[in-house]
Amino acid sequence: MILVEAGSRSLRSFDAQLIFAEQLAARGFTACIGAEYLPEEAGRGRVYEAAKFLVDPEEYEAEIVFVLGAEDINDLLLSSLRQKQLEPDVPVIATGRFETQQSYIGAKARLAYALGREATVIDLTDFQPRSVLPSAASPLVAEIQPTPRPVQQVSNVTVVLGSMELDNPETLSCFSRMSNQGGYNLRLVVSGAQNEAIKSSSYRDLPTILYTDLSSLTLAKTTDILVLFGHGIAGVRVAAYAVALIAAGGVAIDCTDDEALVSSGAPVLLGPKTPFSLDGYLAGKILGNTSQIAEQARKSQWLHSVDISRLEAAAGLAAKIREPVRTEQRTLFFPTNGVGLGHAQRCAVVANALPDDMSPIFAAFPSCIPLIRREGIDCIPLVSRIDTTDSPDGNDILTYRRLSAALQENDRLVFDGGHVFDSVYRVILERKLSAVWVRRGLWPDGRSRETMLRREGVFDQVIVPSEAFEELNDVYSFGDHVHYVGPIFRQVTQSAEERNGLRARLAERFGRDFKQLVVSMLGGGVASDRSAQIQAISGMLEGRTDCLHLVVVWPGSKVQPATFGWTNTRVVQTFEATSLCLAADLVISAAGYNSVLEILYHKIPSILIPQSAPYLDNQERRAKAMADRDLCAIITEKDFMKLERAVSDCLDHDEVEIYRSELNRIELPETGASRAAEIIAGVTLGK
Amino acid sequence: MTVFSAIGSSSRPKIAYVIEPRFSGGTSAAVAAELQVAVELGEIEVHAVTSRTFGDSQHIAPVLRCTLDELRIPLIWDAPRISADIVILHNPAFLKFQDALCTKIFARELIVVTHENFLRPGGEDGFDVLSCLNHIEGSALALRKTLAPISPYNRKTVTDWLIRSRVARHWNVLDTDWFNICETDIDAPREKPEDRRGRHSRPGFEKFPVLSDLDSCFSKHAQSNVILGADALLDARVLRPHWTLLPFDAVSVDEFFGMIDFFVYFTAPTWQESFGRVIAEALAAGKVVLTNSDIGETFDNAVLTCRPEDVDGIVSDLVAHPDRYHEQISRSQPVLTRYSAKNFKAMLSGVLSADSGVLA
Repeated sequence: MILVEAGSRSLRSFDAQLIFAEQLAARGFTACIGAEYLPEEAGRGRVYEAAKFLVDPEEYEAEIVFVLGAEDINDLLLSSLRQKQLEPDVPVIATGRFETQQSYIGAKARLAYALGREATVIDLTDFQPRSVLPSAASPLVAEIQPTPRPVQQVSNVTVVLGSMELDNPETLSCFSRMSNQGGYNLRLVVSGAQNEAIKSSSYRDLPTILYTDLSSLTLAKTTDILVLFGHGIAGVRVAAYAVALIAAGGVAIDCTDDEALVSSGAPVLLGPKTPFSLDGYLAGKILGNTSQIAEQARKSQWLHSVDISRLEAAAGLAAKIREPVRTEQRTLFFPTNGVGLGHAQRCAVVANALPDDMSPIFAAFPSCIPLIRREGIDCIPLVSRIDTTDSPDGNDILTYRRLSAALQENDRLVFDGGHVFDSVYRVILERKLSAVWVRRGLWPDGRSRETMLRREGVFDQVIVPSEAFEELNDVYSFGDHVHYVGPIFRQVTQSAEERNGLRARLAERFGRDFKQLVVSMLGGGVASDRSAQIQAISGMLEGRTDCLHLVVVWPGSKVQPATFGWTNTRVVQTFEATSLCLAADLVISAAGYNSVLEILYHKIPSILIPQSAPYLDNQERRAKAMADRDLCAIITEKDFMKLERAVSDCLDHDEVEIYRSELNRIELPETGASRAAEIIAGVTLGK
Repeated sequence: MTVFSAIGSSSRPKIAYVIEPRFSGGTSAAVAAELQVAVELGEIEVHAVTSRTFGDSQHIAPVLRCTLDELRIPLIWDAPRISADIVILHNPAFLKFQDALCTKIFARELIVVTHENFLRPGGEDGFDVLSCLNHIEGSALALRKTLAPISPYNRKTVTDWLIRSRVARHWNVLDTDWFNICETDIDAPREKPEDRRGRHSRPGFEKFPVLSDLDSCFSKHAQSNVILGADALLDARVLRPHWTLLPFDAVSVDEFFGMIDFFVYFTAPTWQESFGRVIAEALAAGKVVLTNSDIGETFDNAVLTCRPEDVDGIVSDLVAHPDRYHEQISRSQPVLTRYSAKNFKAMLSGVLSADSGVLA
């Protein structure tokens, strides 16, 4: 394991460590960084990036130690090296940009004092007489691609704004026009302040990412043309990004005031100093000529100065070719856990519809795992989110680590959920995955469309399982990659004989005969507490001696103890809720996507009680669409007092028959699981 | 009057010292002691040169300040020109961060006293010697330029460095060592020594051996282990229940010597004391000194040379046999007379006399 240390501890030097560790990892080495280096103010992006490298002292045995930024060595590093008591055969290699011979000698001596032996100290000014960023602690090296980079149909253009001021409103307008043309995909790399300015402007849907959202290597992998604005190079991450892109055969355009990149001797183009001329410049001179430009750049001697293999040779390292662990493409489903297990249920339905030669696996949260495994599908356990203020992203970082470990380049990821987690976003880009987003519609009012769709671009395909009724199918994004398929839900068949058998078994199980079976299915998820409603329903049904009331929840759901106090009410934890609903005379349910479609397609009389919570889709619209067609009764939050009457109408009068009749009559769209499976099976890498 | 006719017009030679007076360690102490002798042999001027090594402050090392006050010698800061029969520049390493030596030097003989080793053990440069000597050469007009090593070990690093340098071969090397004057009271050893070990030094990483060696030197078998100057160990929380760690200025040196019977001194193997005043102080305080063979070269058989892993055995043997302990002290303390002011005066007189022609 190669331990990457830094001469001093700061955000800048930590960036250098991250950049170099990732480069080593990409070259087949196992690199790590001591956890003590993680700065308190690291920020979300860096923490994700660092997660795969950070180690505690007892977790690793250093085979090689790299010290970056040796021109500025502090006592913390020296103490740490001394305390490690490295074996004599563990090489210690330090890199630095030394302004004078004395600073080189001094650094070498200080390391030697701490180690008790000499370190190999490499003066990067010998390697790179004209560095892209002379103040960078990172060696700013990259792997030189021996073959030309494949030309994309539509180029990905990334513009780094650098120190550009956004006080001229025309600037964002200009980027907006560029973003909406079809000749290339535009992405802006911005600072936090620039991002704030953009998000509070009329151009809030501009595709922006922060400097720390992705690693330099991932940015380079996902960029064809890089444009730099501002004054100078905007920090070590941008410098490393530019070097990695040029080395990988991408096109870099220097639009900085001071021609910072050109002056380093890098094979880059000198572009317009203002973004207002950029679109014309790209269209007229760059797009369509990228291969020739890259070919010219490949002849530059400058590439030699950033060739990581030279540094490896000087350090006595031999790059290892890391072969893929698997030869076959893996398909992994990642259902988020929302209110219930609906995402996992839907994914399982789609997974079962995949061709026989595909053996998908799942990565899922603990509550979903039994459901998935009972379908015969293997599942990687994830860790649920815990609401803590000190590490709100902790579980997603673990998810990121586990997804990264499970997936290799060109595997296929199917994500089902509303919010695209950082883990998903990063692993798709880093592993160059074929990615599918299963994204339900009917978003609640007030949810920001821009926020929800911000990361849609990383997916090759988007599958939107539709609602049963056309007025519910809102359209949020367009394009050939967005597929609206029929409703996807779990379908169960139950004969009259099976129904009677199940009712008899329930009577026996609960030790009481009943004439009417009522199933309440209000969910047991994380978004809102249903216990008051359950108590109210249980109370209403308590006086009906010929009625059995089952409160049906997913296994593992929380149930209030008071629910167990009723004579007529029993709690059932099961994955077979649909079978119980089919056996029931009346179902009282929330109006979630899966519940409603199961009720609708299985023609089950019901009273729908739409729920509302920040994470939920618009259940009221869905329930109302059903009720408007006389397919069910609806009890909204406002008229909850009418529930008793609705129950009575159904159980004591013929309301149920009206619903049943309409349910039998209505024409429903074809279900969409097979089509979704076809799309997933046909996905190839489009990025 | 030309510069060289001005030089030597006095009956006593004019000796100009060029120093960086802010060195806090051995260099300033050595210069202070040396000035007390030099005033007897010539007209003394002391020039201070401000270097980047110590920033912009004009804080003078206290020991030097006292001596200058006592001798009523004014300290001249950053003179543009120095003229003297002999110019003695102490510790050229203070120029290591400089682009040039801005003071012009005119002298019959320029002597550069090499307080810091030119090479580290293993042969790496101790500092940018070439640059420092180039700065001096670029500013000095002298009939003779001499490097004056301060100990046998220091001499070896100077001569080895000169052998491999292609551009500094015209520097002469003084035959005798320009040693540090060590004149302190000689204390008698304790009647019955105990296994009370200790060391003191500045807290720099170079002054301490690797941890495994430090553990060997100050093992749990000892009755006590006192480490004065343990600032870095304290900062890094390198603690042992059988160690007493004290910051550099926590107690006086006299108090420290009162706490120990054995002075066990090893440094990083990649660094070596050029003289080792600390060893001389321990010997004068009546302590048995255990150290490595390179330091032993300066003090001959006044110290017991060994490896860290041998320390336990040697100490327990001497504790068990106090007569041997006392014999060792008896052997060692006379060696200190070698570094007396009287001997230094003789050495300096020799340098000022026939060979240089200054007194002729």
